[in-house]
Amino acid sequence: MEYLALDGMFFEQGRIYMRVWQLAFVLMIITGASLQGKGAEQEGRLFAESNDDSSTVRRPVEVTGLSNEVRGKGWIIYSARAGKGDWDLFLMRPDGSNRRNITNTPMFNEGLPRFSTDAGRILYRRIGVSESFDNNLHGMQGELVFADSDGGNAEVYGGQGEYTWASWGPDGKRIACMSVKGIYFVELATKKVVGHMERRGFFQQITWSPDGKWLCGVANSFGASWSVARMEIATGAANAVSSMNNCTPDWFPDSQQLIFSYRPADQEGSEYGWTQLWMADAEGKHRSLVYGEDGRHVYGGAVSPDGIYVLFTGNMQEDGDASGSGAPMGLMRLRDTPAIGGDSKALRKLHGSTKDGPVLVLPDGWEPHWTYCELGAAK
Amino acid sequence: MTRSPIHINRHANILLLLSLLCVLSLCVSCSKKPDTGQDDKVTTLGSIEVTAQLLEIRGKIIDDPLYDYAHVMKYKVLQVHRGKVDGETIYVGHYNPAEPRSSVADARVRDIGGNLRRFKATDIHRIALEVPIDDYYMGGIINKYFGESEDPIYWALWTNLVIK
Repeated sequence: MEYLALDGMFFEQGRIYMRVWQLAFVLMIITGASLQGKGAEQEGRLFAESNDDSSTVRRPVEVTGLSNEVRGKGWIIYSARAGKGDWDLFLMRPDGSNRRNITNTPMFNEGLPRFSTDAGRILYRRIGVSESFDNNLHGMQGELVFADSDGGNAEVYGGQGEYTWASWGPDGKRIACMSVKGIYFVELATKKVVGHMERRGFFQQITWSPDGKWLCGVANSFGASWSVARMEIATGAANAVSSMNNCTPDWFPDSQQLIFSYRPADQEGSEYGWTQLWMADAEGKHRSLVYGEDGRHVYGGAVSPDGIYVLFTGNMQEDGDASGSGAPMGLMRLRDTPAIGGDSKALRKLHGSTKDGPVLVLPDGWEPHWTYCELGAAK
Repeated sequence: MTRSPIHINRHANILLLLSLLCVLSLCVSCSKKPDTGQDDKVTTLGSIEVTAQLLEIRGKIIDDPLYDYAHVMKYKVLQVHRGKVDGETIYVGHYNPAEPRSSVADARVRDIGGNLRRFKATDIHRIALEVPIDDYYMGGIINKYFGESEDPIYWALWTNLVIK
């Protein structure tokens, strides 16, 4: 009986030990899940579903490979809604990790950040928190600000509505600006206007080429509204690169090609049409699709500093990036393009031979820009 | 119980009178007072002021709240009140033409307006202008006359309807 009693105690003790272990195990699972959640958050919501039922291409194995490939390739800067609802500037690794807010200014909205060539400084525009960025006017809104690439030493340059559509020169010592009176070049140290030229129908989003010889922008001058065009700085000669319903042009690193958004007319199944990402040679002889998805307007095209990758945003609403909360950003290898996301039956009919490579979906943002330089304070 | 013919006649007369009054009031409301379109704004804004007939609106006037633009329209100049225009036919860019002129001014383009509610070919407008458009307006322009005319594009600041 004693044995049995002891045995019974043993079982009783065993039950208690089992309960303790069970509890410990459950706690471990809960803690692990919680840490995993934080990790995912810190990793920039990689592979997370976007807020608006993202249908962009996802092939986890290939996407993981792409993510690993780009992780150490510098930094991406972009604007996005912060916790308090205002627009701030963020830095992240190209795989979406190490994401952090570098402005933290609840009284202001910041947008349109651009690294200087050596990534020592950034420029961006800043408006009051009660104002909204307009997708077609943003380069004219608020104040121009320069700061270190980690957001430090921010310095307002000029007053409200000055130095409009500012774009870095290749040496980082000058900027090109555009107003109704024309295009002008400003020496940053002295604020002297060191050059001036007619704008020849260019009216928004001018960008200075990496080789310093050209400007690209959106222009009226070529028989169609919202043409993407190129202008030679030495002569003022301009040519259309892509006509009708184009915007947000940016340069490839070779200064010989442009990436831009384009909304082709007469799209099947959509009266308004969907805006797609395209590229073209700067002479405007040949243009080709980079990424399109019926159901998304693709904007914010930016090519990596080596011309191997491309960044963009995919918004379900036209002009929704600035007026909403940005849109999921996508990163692709250019060699994996042209690509079409989602079903996009009508688009696939038009572009039969797409490659549909992996798209790394990154956090919601607006107008991203990429540097391969290491940022001292941002490491 | 049946109504007497006298009652029926009285009702018919009242109805007839009411109908006549209606027709008369419609005629009064339709007939517009002649208006030269002159006001303080059109006579002072810009460096040019003309009375001109809108000959043609080439292309569709787009009403898209997401995009602001100027649409170029073709006019025949009837009278020059101020400044100088080159030739009898001019091309004028109107900002966001789907909007009534009284509410068209916005953050991008502030000093424009007028009493014109709707653009209609053959109407006559009194317009305050500047030229060339690129010196006064930086934005999208829909110009269906591109390549057809080398004439400068005028920029409409104030547009009033003229009633002859």
